[in-house]
Amino acid sequence: MNNQVEKKQDASGILRRITKSNSFGIFIILLAMCLLLTLAVRDKFLSGSNIVSVIRQFSFYGILAIGMCMVIITAGIDLSVGSVFALAGVLACIAITKWNLPVFVSVLIGMAVGLVVGYFNGFCVTILKLPPMIATLGTMSIARGVAYTVTGGYPIGSLPDSFKFLGLGYIAGIPTPIVLMVVLAVLATLFLQKTVIGRWIYAIGGNEEGARLSGVPVNQIKRLVYALSGLMAAISGIAMAARLGVGQSTSGLSYEMDAIAATVIGGASLSGGSGSILGAIIGAAIMGVLRNGLVLLDVSAYWQQTVIGIVIILAVTLDNLRHLKKK
Amino acid sequence: MKKLVVALLTASMLLGLTACTMEGKKEEPAQAATDETPEETGESEEPAAEEPATEAKSDGDITIAVVPKSLDNAIFLDTQTAAEAKAEELGINLQWVGPTTSDAGQQVTVVEGLIEKQVDGILISCNDADALKDVIDRAVDAGIVVACFDSDSPESARSFYCGTDNYAIGKLAAEKMQETIPDGGKVAILTGVLGAPNLEERIRGFKETVEGSNIEVMPIQTGNDDVQTSVDVVGQYTAANSDLAAWFFVGGWPYFADPDALPEVQKFMENGGHIISIDTCEPMMQYVGMDMVDLLIGQNYPEMGALGVETLYKLIQGEDVDLGDETHYIDTGYELVDKSNYEEVWETKAPW
Repeated sequence: MNNQVEKKQDASGILRRITKSNSFGIFIILLAMCLLLTLAVRDKFLSGSNIVSVIRQFSFYGILAIGMCMVIITAGIDLSVGSVFALAGVLACIAITKWNLPVFVSVLIGMAVGLVVGYFNGFCVTILKLPPMIATLGTMSIARGVAYTVTGGYPIGSLPDSFKFLGLGYIAGIPTPIVLMVVLAVLATLFLQKTVIGRWIYAIGGNEEGARLSGVPVNQIKRLVYALSGLMAAISGIAMAARLGVGQSTSGLSYEMDAIAATVIGGASLSGGSGSILGAIIGAAIMGVLRNGLVLLDVSAYWQQTVIGIVIILAVTLDNLRHLKKK
Repeated sequence: MKKLVVALLTASMLLGLTACTMEGKKEEPAQAATDETPEETGESEEPAAEEPATEAKSDGDITIAVVPKSLDNAIFLDTQTAAEAKAEELGINLQWVGPTTSDAGQQVTVVEGLIEKQVDGILISCNDADALKDVIDRAVDAGIVVACFDSDSPESARSFYCGTDNYAIGKLAAEKMQETIPDGGKVAILTGVLGAPNLEERIRGFKETVEGSNIEVMPIQTGNDDVQTSVDVVGQYTAANSDLAAWFFVGGWPYFADPDALPEVQKFMENGGHIISIDTCEPMMQYVGMDMVDLLIGQNYPEMGALGVETLYKLIQGEDVDLGDETHYIDTGYELVDKSNYEEVWETKAPW
């Protein structure tokens, strides 16, 4: 009898924690959008192939948003992710097709490039003391320039199936990019919630000087966070090159804005200290569902941008109102 | 630590500057070398009859800048190759410069830089006809011969436009569509960046031609010139609209991806769907062979580069050039690629 009461209390406790979590409000908005779309274009939206297509579409932004979320939690910003996305993708493709390296090694090269560019961002922010926006704006241009230079503007195709698997394959019936996003999101959540470094990341964003005074190695942590953001961008870019079967120097243009939007929609504050990976993924999902909905609803492309902007403002406003009410 | 960083930064900046200077110096002997051999090209120009601004220059002194809409658009690569080959043939200097993305403001800045550098000729594909008009006029006032290719600025003082009549190829696509689906039906349109004059003209040509017919044009969808977005939009729209009869791709963005990335298109075509697309770039040829597109309508990008540079060169040298009627429009034509001829056309394309 007592056990049953405890279980009930546990269940209600978990439920209360879920409903009070920062991501809950935005999750409800996502559900509401899905519901509306189901009512409007039932068969089209709920078809298995469409759902998979939408999740696969936003998984690339989702992976970018994981890295961006960590950077934003430290009160920083990373504008270089779109360019790193392209650079890592084309370098992995060049390594395979021009240098004839094994796929595994080529992918590692692409990821390493992401890490290096990300670490360089961290170096600029912590050692050169550049504002994150300026530092990453610089690397955004550098990385894109290198991508143009190494490809000469030509797309790099003729990639082996083992590489394309990363973007077009399935693991247990689920498209690989979705699996990648979920695994990376879980790892990043555990990292942020369950490790000392994760706590430090929040502490830096909340009060950098306070964190420094309490012995947090602020600069090292920041460099780590930017390096991880570069790594996430590289993974996403490599998966995209695999998805399209071509590495393109033009890919990922303005994706940084989508990653920032997803993170902020997901409840992160640009002034740092708050945000969650789950929220960022839900934010990316909202953007993906919204874009898909506009296509399914036959909304003219000339209107789509406007509608996306309005929905983003409405979603974040509704979530803010919920937080104000809670306070 | 800080001092070390400052010292390193200063050293790298100095090194960078030195490298740039040396690169600049390296070019000079090359120009001097071409200076010595102008006669070899056999050009003995008569003094300019109608073009008063320029004295006849030796070929090695002539510099023509070709400005695409952006450096990141692979569609211009064939133009670049052809323009460079033509410049080499003529023994003149060619600069390939442009904005990094398709942005009219950035492109204006590029042209302003070329005016400062006092190049002899500019061949430009305009991101926006009106936004570029003023700077083109300023370049002409500065004695530079300016012409447009691919995308025109007809109100400007440019000498000529060589390229495709975008309205006409939109119209042609519509006529071919009517032949392909005589019973009519729903046709979706995929475009790129909204507002780009050449794309809008193609859409207008298509829509006005099918107006009142049994073809129902669906609201326009965009891939924003992005391959992934184009692939996703086409995939989702096709899967969601089982009654769709055909697609008209205003540009060939989805076909820059690997065929494996387009399972919905494959299925659509197997189920009797039809696609007509503009552009005939090399990677797109495989799609014709795989029955994933009925017809490609291609602009002649190499011809735009070669003919554009050659005509500019003649004008700079003061030669009398027949530029047709008052619009000074040189039609570089188009090519049609379908299952019957794609292999021959493919052989003529340089592999990407």
